[in-house]
Amino acid sequence: MTLEEIFATIVGHTRDILPGLDDHAFQFTDSLRELGANSIDRSEVVMLTLESLSLKAPMIEFAKAENMGELATLLHARL
Amino acid sequence: MHAAERTPIVVSGIGITASIGQGRRDFTAALLAGEHRFAAMRRPGRQKPPAADDVAAPFIGAEIADLRMPDAIAAAKLRNLSWSAQVALATLHEAWEDAGLDGVDPRRIGLIVGGSNVQQRELALSQAKYQDRVEFLRPTHAMTFMDTDLCGVCSEVFGIRGLAITVGGASASGQLAAIQAIEAVRSGQVDVCIALGALMDLSFFECQAFRSLGAMGSDRFAREPALACRPFDRDRDGFIFGEACGAIVIRRAADATRTPYAELKGWAMAWDANRNPNPSLEGETAVIRGALAMAGLLADAIDYVNPHGTASVVGDETELAALRACGLDRAYINATKSLVGHGLSAAGMVELIAVMLQMQAGRLHPSRNLDNPIDAGFRWVGATAIDHVVERALNMSMGFGGINTAICLQRG
Repeated sequence: MTLEEIFATIVGHTRDILPGLDDHAFQFTDSLRELGANSIDRSEVVMLTLESLSLKAPMIEFAKAENMGELATLLHARL
Repeated sequence: MHAAERTPIVVSGIGITASIGQGRRDFTAALLAGEHRFAAMRRPGRQKPPAADDVAAPFIGAEIADLRMPDAIAAAKLRNLSWSAQVALATLHEAWEDAGLDGVDPRRIGLIVGGSNVQQRELALSQAKYQDRVEFLRPTHAMTFMDTDLCGVCSEVFGIRGLAITVGGASASGQLAAIQAIEAVRSGQVDVCIALGALMDLSFFECQAFRSLGAMGSDRFAREPALACRPFDRDRDGFIFGEACGAIVIRRAADATRTPYAELKGWAMAWDANRNPNPSLEGETAVIRGALAMAGLLADAIDYVNPHGTASVVGDETELAALRACGLDRAYINATKSLVGHGLSAAGMVELIAVMLQMQAGRLHPSRNLDNPIDAGFRWVGATAIDHVVERALNMSMGFGGINTAICLQRG
């Protein structure tokens, strides 16, 4: 799976979790926090993405991501 | 304290959701028409997974067909809501609007949710889904698995800041919530207290256990769901489950901004010191006499009884014996569970509401399947509704583990 495909997966789950982002043009530099996700929302996005990727990895590994692009990169490195 | 010295406590708002109807108007119409929705249950997680060697009939119950969620709640786009929480929100919204609570100081409003372990089906579905891949379990399971999530969800949506707790009393939980809410208002802890009987969301695990225990019917009418639920009838063989949720707004009469449905005149709770499901004549007579004494009423003053009446073989007989022992065999009596089934945690609240809606309608609803009452000496409302203006009623609840409750109401 490419980095872009992983990013698209994160975007899809972000739209599921956070209402009102259907028309938002997501960028790698977007921050989930700045888009309005609280810590519970962010954990849900990460977990749903891990499930979609069938990637069994500790959530804590992804906490250091500063934006959605970094999150995609960290996930990509674990595949 | 003498009854006359107490500040009158009233019900000034009602919300109701049940299989036969959502909202006061539809529910009352269905109740008086004697409608029902008993069938083999279809909600995911209610029936055992198919097995080749299993010849048992499907579990019968009455399920809510389509829940209408008020726009104000739908707009909040709440996620990860259990079925019990969704129904609680819709039901509480109706009661809230009915009582006109928007202008009340939120720090003076309380919520008491009756029921414990009410989200069993959701838990069973989650456990089945993640059984072999628990790593992917939704993090929010950590907050939603607790019944107090209903308190969190409802208090957030309605801005309740005074008090929000759950109370558990098995099948008397709904009435226990009402009693605790009355006490919260009477003590001055809050000015308004909402009591909610939560929807008990059974999974097939609980259905199987209830059936094995002999509490849940119906082996006798396994292929005739419409005949399965028959409280106080000679052919009853246990309770039939029914999804339901009810909410009432309790406040001092002096604070009510609308004509109350009823004044709550007396209430009582008694425990049997018995962990088991079996009923107790002593416990039941104690709460009947306790509620009447607190209301300052003699049995003759009660013109309608809404019994617990689950269709339990022993429970129904014990309840009638208790009513007779207390001189309540001359009041009208019907069986709300014959129409809506047994809501377990919700039952006591749904039936309290049924009393008040019948008071308002000036009619008493029919009892379904009461073909041969186990005691013909009572004043049964049979197959058709009758005109009767209830002035003073008694409502009973009992639950596993030895809890008995009763509430005495006077028309508002």
